[in-house]
Amino acid sequence: MLPRKRPGEGEAVNEGNSQSVLKKHRISSSTDSKNNQESNSSGTGSLVVGNSNSNSNKSCGEQTITEMAFDDGNPRDIDEDLHSRQLAVYGRETMRRLFASNVLVSGMQGLGVEIAKNLILAGVKSVTLHDEGTVELWDMSSNFVFSEKDLGKNRALASMQKLQELNNAVAISTLTTKLTKEQLSDFQAVVFTDINLESAIEFNEYCHNHQPPIAFIKTEVRGLFGSAFCDFGPEFTVFDVDGEEPHTGIIASISNDNPALVACVDDERLEFQDGDLVVFSEIQGMTQLNDGKPRKIKNARPYSFTLDEDTTKFGTYERGGIVTQVKEPKILNFKPLKEAIKDPGDFLLSDFSKFDRPPLLHLAFQSLDKFVSELGRFPTAGSEEDAQRLISITSDINEGLGDGKLDDINPKLLRHFAFGARAVLNPMAAMFGGIVGQEVVKACSGKFHPLFQFFYFDSLESLPTEPLDPSDLRPLNSRYDAQISVFGSKFQKKLEDAKVFVVGSGALGCEFLKNLALMGVSCGKHGKLTVTDDDVIEKSNLSRQFLFRDWNIGQPKSTVAASAASSINPLLHIEALQNRVGPETENVFNDAFWENLNVVINALDNVNARLYVDQRCLYFQKPLLESGTLGAKCNTQMVIPHLTENYGASRDPPEKQAPMCTVHSFPHNIDHCLTWARSEFEGLLEKTPAEVNAYLSNPSEYTSAMRNAGDAQARDNLERVIECLDRERCESFQDCITWARMKFEDYFANRVKQLTFTFPEDAATSTGAPFWSAPKRFPRPLQFSVTDPSHLHFIMAASILRAETFGVPVPDWVKHPKKLAEAVDKVIVPDFQPKKNVKIVTDEKATSLATASVDDSAVINELIMKLEQCRKTLPPNFRMKPIQFEKDDDTNYHMDLIAALANMRARNYSIPEVDKLKAKFIAGRIIPAIATSTAMATGLVCLELYKVIDGSHKLEDYRNTFANLALPLFSMAEPVPPKVVKHQNMSWTVWDRWIIKGNPTLRELLQWLADKGLNAYSISFGSCLLYNSMFPRHKERMDKKVADLARDVAKVELPPYRDHLDVVVACEDDEDNDVDIPQISVYFR
Amino acid sequence: MSSPSKRREMDLMKLMMTDYKVETINDGMQEFYVEFHGPKESPYQGGVWRIRVELPDAYPYKSPSIGFVNKIYHPNVDEMSGSVCLDVINQTWSPMFDLVNVFEVFLPQLLLYPNPSDPLNGEAAALMMRDRSAYEQRVKEYCEKYAKPEDAGVAGEEKSSDEELTEDEYASSDDEIAGKVDP
Repeated sequence: MLPRKRPGEGEAVNEGNSQSVLKKHRISSSTDSKNNQESNSSGTGSLVVGNSNSNSNKSCGEQTITEMAFDDGNPRDIDEDLHSRQLAVYGRETMRRLFASNVLVSGMQGLGVEIAKNLILAGVKSVTLHDEGTVELWDMSSNFVFSEKDLGKNRALASMQKLQELNNAVAISTLTTKLTKEQLSDFQAVVFTDINLESAIEFNEYCHNHQPPIAFIKTEVRGLFGSAFCDFGPEFTVFDVDGEEPHTGIIASISNDNPALVACVDDERLEFQDGDLVVFSEIQGMTQLNDGKPRKIKNARPYSFTLDEDTTKFGTYERGGIVTQVKEPKILNFKPLKEAIKDPGDFLLSDFSKFDRPPLLHLAFQSLDKFVSELGRFPTAGSEEDAQRLISITSDINEGLGDGKLDDINPKLLRHFAFGARAVLNPMAAMFGGIVGQEVVKACSGKFHPLFQFFYFDSLESLPTEPLDPSDLRPLNSRYDAQISVFGSKFQKKLEDAKVFVVGSGALGCEFLKNLALMGVSCGKHGKLTVTDDDVIEKSNLSRQFLFRDWNIGQPKSTVAASAASSINPLLHIEALQNRVGPETENVFNDAFWENLNVVINALDNVNARLYVDQRCLYFQKPLLESGTLGAKCNTQMVIPHLTENYGASRDPPEKQAPMCTVHSFPHNIDHCLTWARSEFEGLLEKTPAEVNAYLSNPSEYTSAMRNAGDAQARDNLERVIECLDRERCESFQDCITWARMKFEDYFANRVKQLTFTFPEDAATSTGAPFWSAPKRFPRPLQFSVTDPSHLHFIMAASILRAETFGVPVPDWVKHPKKLAEAVDKVIVPDFQPKKNVKIVTDEKATSLATASVDDSAVINELIMKLEQCRKTLPPNFRMKPIQFEKDDDTNYHMDLIAALANMRARNYSIPEVDKLKAKFIAGRIIPAIATSTAMATGLVCLELYKVIDGSHKLEDYRNTFANLALPLFSMAEPVPPKVVKHQNMSWTVWDRWIIKGNPTLRELLQWLADKGLNAYSISFGSCLLYNSMFPRHKERMDKKVADLARDVAKVELPPYRDHLDVVVACEDDEDNDVDIPQISVYFR
Repeated sequence: MSSPSKRREMDLMKLMMTDYKVETINDGMQEFYVEFHGPKESPYQGGVWRIRVELPDAYPYKSPSIGFVNKIYHPNVDEMSGSVCLDVINQTWSPMFDLVNVFEVFLPQLLLYPNPSDPLNGEAAALMMRDRSAYEQRVKEYCEKYAKPEDAGVAGEEKSSDEELTEDEYASSDDEIAGKVDP
């Protein structure tokens, strides 16, 4: 996959935009309270993951169908409810390796605690915290578990309890005395955040030569500078170098040639690269290639590649075939620190505008180590003497480098480095905590490519633009002393008085609130932090939304997060709201609210909300700090008034959706089957019951609406309702089983027979080409058998859910295969005869809709008559219960049915089946998410926040970032400036707005524009046209006030506090060129 | 390319400038109807369809959704819902395309060259593959039955001639100016 600009936003949803914005409405108002939060918070307060909970909530008697059908032979050791989003990134194997890993984190200042947090959330087996020092006021700028009452306690001991709360399944212990290298043999990975070079080299040597090697990481953050070093041993195997799914392609032809040319269907572009290894399967004709042997490819093109193989003597290619990339493990030979420090190799670069920085920082960090070991202390902030000393140490080391000597050691930069050296800043700790946390996961699992081997970073641009007075850097005996030593106390005050709006309180939001609290943002007298989120806490949130505990499940996210943030820093002035930000809450987030803000921080999970906040920020000219994550990837985008383009100015293309015909009749991968399964689920269990209820609650209104519509759609609706209430009405559970069995026959046998009758295997198109050619796959009907567990599983899930819609009690025996099989055997299944001239796709009611020439309205009348008859036979007040799909409840059978539907269909088309977890990821559109990339993104954003609060930075000081921790890759760049439009002697950008006062009429507005040489042809308000020069009836509007038009035409309320409205005008200049003019604010009061 | 906010306006305007009958609902720009005539030299010639056009929020980044309101017999159009499984609209849409392209190029192409190998209406596809003339006969029957001009029924924002408009406008504004300047 190519790096995407905005990971994390792409919930591709077919049903329109409402779904992607709101998670809430999926939390159904369902009556099955057994799954509700009340029963979960049973007071134990413990959250079980790891190896201790296999089947703990299941009765241990007879094997149930659920286990039978999906048991993959492994113990159920992963709490999938808790870890689902993380599993979507790592997969089960990596998670199991993590669960077996013991990690040491040494140095529990800000950075240490961030790393420990990320590892504990990820769910390693144990984390040992090491620190010999005590909590100082100085630590409060960056360590979120310390409070003032911890001052003087050992740092490791003071951290333990709060870290343990994050995940009870992780064993946490402490070490408070000097480490010996032998102690390191207890761990698979060790991380040092505060260690001198000499001891580091000694420990590293021990780890490097240990059998098996112990992964060693040394990292530190000093002011606005950070470093990380990895050594995972002399021969470390990476199982998955990028975390991407293997690429695949559908073959169209293969030549008998040397080398052979393989062409693929032009359905989707191939993503192979030269040198990739691939395997082939399902090829007909040239079957020699189906041997499973990995082969190397060359000349990779969008739809073809060549194969380094002589195929001249192979069979002739006939049809079919799938090509799949084989991911090769990679062996890395790490150098020990002692060698690497002298010969660091290639540094991982993060910012091309600073390409010469890493070698300099490599030197600077060594000099600092020397400074500290000589003087026994860090350089003092503001001390020119200390700075000079550091510069001269650096210069000495540089002189000794011989050929590798740097031309310029940049004394100015070193001076800043010296000043901030003692401070651990929260944003730096958050960023490096994410990066290093991920490196530990890599070390423990072999998943993703490790950092090889040094990474250096600085964010010097975060410093205020005005030079800092050394006296301003002095400690004030406050919790912000560390931050003050870098930014000065004047700037600290600015942070404290900032008015900030954090939109969203999920994964990003939790991290942001922690960061802001530690930085002291909105903690002053005039400061105010508003956070809003309309969602409530679910179990699957807990693996990364670290301000939430299991006893908070069901509570509002914003309130819980706000109170947790207040306990990190009691001075925080925070207000938590539960409103969704959008047009419907503009009474809450009104003009005064927006105007009062200094900065807006997005912590959202969908594009629509982001676009809305972007528009608001654009309108009120507020800086917007935007970020998002997708698995190990993250991005940040700074939107600064008049300096940068806005968020909505550029977009990723929307995700491609499979065409309808493919999903309906010609699936060729499991995604197509799952899309179909979800749509069938919704049709059967949600839409039809809702349609039935709509009819029953007001039969006369419903039927007359259908009569008025009088089209095929109305007819179809009526047929469904009648079917549900008449032919297929379920009164007993046996009825539900019958229904499920009939559905099986219909979906997986009859429809396939019909399709292959209409299009036989040898059918040819008008051009003579075979109809069933790639990517189409020829389907075969299934023969139902009670001995096939997946058939039975389908019957079980379908009948249970059908019973739920009819309010029929579900008997216990349904979970016992034998008894269920007996019940299914009672069902009499009629023979199926394919019919001529029937439609394929909308074949729900294939038989009745077949003769299209029959008049719809006549049929509708007939159906309504039948329906009215049928209604009389129903019990009084009969209603069905529509079921809304909820992916995150493992006991509701929703995913069971969807996986079963998809897999049976996959079987029809010989597509490989998937397990329930994979099905859930795809059908539930679960966005993979891990704590590390989230933490890093928020750290990066907070480094930008320093610039925004200062307020006088230029464009070149800001950075947008795209990062992928899996590779690892960091790509930072200056934001793009806004597009400037010029017309006559005027120029403007998207940040400008034109204002016309005096409650103008439409004619006056047009004239006002004409005076600027602009001929307006269309004026709109929202999505409503107020004026279009092509519509004659709009001429009548000329002398109406624009505000009145908005009221009359757009039906908009203009409340008393509103004094203007904003219209979008499309216009041309005198040469008929379109001119993109700013929004116009029309003042009417 | 102009900013996305104005694309709806510009595209709608261009469509009307190209003499398509457009019917908006309460002056909304999200959803409207356009009259579409079957292309010449095709069995669909003479048929007139009411086409429902929906511009999604993300338009023009996301393709417009296009549906036939009155019935059409075509391998790539769902007979019941009227949805089009048209590759270029659903799959290869780019923000560079606009509504005029849809009505001038994509839809005529679809009617001139149906693609029976990716059918939405399998019956039509099968018939077209097996018996071209029976298929064309069926298409014509459908046109006569369901696609007469009155079936399309697009009210249209009737365009009056430019002169008329200009005259009207000038007349009234002249009056106004005259009134003010010459008391």
